[in-house]
Amino acid sequence: MKDLSNMIWIELRKAFRSRMPLFTTVGSLFMPLGIAFLIFVATHPEISGRLGLVGAKANLMAYAATNWPTYLALLAQMIAAGGFFLFCLIICWVFGREFADGTLKDLLAVPVQRASILLAKFSVAGVWSVALTLVIFGVGLVMGAIIGLPQGSPGALLQGSALVAITACLTIAVVMPFAFFASVGRGYLLPIGIAILALMMANLVGVLGWGAYFPWAVPGLFAQGKGYVTPISYPIALLTGLAGMIGTYLWWKYADQSR
Amino acid sequence: MNLAIETENLAKRYGDVTAVEHLSLRVAEGEIYAFLGLNGAGKTTTIRMLLGMIKPTAGCAHVLGTRVRLGRREPWASVGYLVELPHCYPELTVRENLEVARRLHPGTPSQAVSRFIERLGLAEYADRRAGTLSQGNAQRLGLAKALLHEPRLLLLDEPANGLDPAGIVEIRALLLELTRERGVTVFMSSHILAEVARLAQRIGIIHAGRLLQELDVAELERKRQRRLLVRARDMEAAHRVLTAAGQPAGILPDGTIELRNTAAVAHPDDIASLLVGAGVPPTQLMVEEEELEQYFLRLVGSSGGAK
Repeated sequence: MKDLSNMIWIELRKAFRSRMPLFTTVGSLFMPLGIAFLIFVATHPEISGRLGLVGAKANLMAYAATNWPTYLALLAQMIAAGGFFLFCLIICWVFGREFADGTLKDLLAVPVQRASILLAKFSVAGVWSVALTLVIFGVGLVMGAIIGLPQGSPGALLQGSALVAITACLTIAVVMPFAFFASVGRGYLLPIGIAILALMMANLVGVLGWGAYFPWAVPGLFAQGKGYVTPISYPIALLTGLAGMIGTYLWWKYADQSR
Repeated sequence: MNLAIETENLAKRYGDVTAVEHLSLRVAEGEIYAFLGLNGAGKTTTIRMLLGMIKPTAGCAHVLGTRVRLGRREPWASVGYLVELPHCYPELTVRENLEVARRLHPGTPSQAVSRFIERLGLAEYADRRAGTLSQGNAQRLGLAKALLHEPRLLLLDEPANGLDPAGIVEIRALLLELTRERGVTVFMSSHILAEVARLAQRIGIIHAGRLLQELDVAELERKRQRRLLVRARDMEAAHRVLTAAGQPAGILPDGTIELRNTAAVAHPDDIASLLVGAGVPPTQLMVEEEELEQYFLRLVGSSGGAK
């Protein structure tokens, strides 16, 4: 336990001393601010008329989100797509940086269980992703209140909050394998490439009707809240996360580390 | 004799490429053992296998009595290491990097961080981001990380890399002190052969993945080639005199006469008397000893040539 707390201290120190928290927070702010802006534009025809393409886009996207339930559902979908990339970036940085910076070797021949080192990394990446979700959700609530969305009953807010929370949990689960891809690829390129591919595939399998069985499509389909996912979709997403963590552990423990 | 490192037919192959083959080493506790080899000879691969970072294709290694296996915690509490370049977390300060190293070795007192900052001459840079350090100071930081938990065994890959001459002397003194006063074993690879000659008690020469020779300093002294170099005003006459006296004298490109026979090297005064008696007095007599560098290159050359 002492080892784990030491490893968490190390991961937190590395994270807080880097610019990544700033970059990811700024990135996450774009989501609620962007949606709120589009809704604001869409609900003010005199502005949207002057904004040309942006106004047209706002009318197309945001008319549907002019009340709290649809606004929160849109926020959940943003987390499933944009959040996925942010969470991916975090986990790729937490794991891939050891390879990219050449610091991995300092973690290998030490009297600390490899499992403690990895658990600390997964914990920090997980907590970081949850914190970003809270930023997106918190700023989203404030922006929703500022633009004066209707139908903000406690029930609707609770239901919307649960949708956002579960979408975030599913998204965090399906980014865990990217720790493995960062380790196998010894850096950032491979996992980021796979993340782009996974999102493209998620759209494709969604169109074909198999999205409920494709882990990287599950958060997005769940966020749409129209019964696109089946009961099997949840264990698929969670087992994907677990498989990613186990794969990463086995890779760190048994693969040759020549960097 | 207690062994700090013992390998038995250690080998590592990557497909058709053999990085290390049939490597059997024995390093006694308290010894400074230098591992010499050209780039790609297999030094770093060996060190990584000793540290359990790479799985051997064949053979096994024991470090401080524990068989090395991938992903184990033992025996790393007593081992400090510096492999290849001294990487660190660039956004953390020198002090924070050492704090990270301290926490990776539970039980290391927190005062050790300040102590080794002082010891390695890093006080001026303690609160500076490690990414801004010069190569020499980054090397000092790497060494501080290796020494922080006061290990019994140090595995150092090119410890003098990037250090200025004063730094090299400082690190040499530190390693000698650790060995003499605390019985620390040092296994180091190096390209700076003059440094190795000053520091190591035993030397292993590796080439193309194979251990060509292991020798201690006394053996090296014996195996080093010596020669007597002779110069005179009339070099041709001097050469004739020496040849007539049965001395197998060679002539170097610059005209200097070279004598390699043991008697001549042991008694240059006899050669001087001979030449003076023949009316060709020498203007210069010099016994030259082969440097470790030359010995190494001769050995490596005779085993297939430097690549």
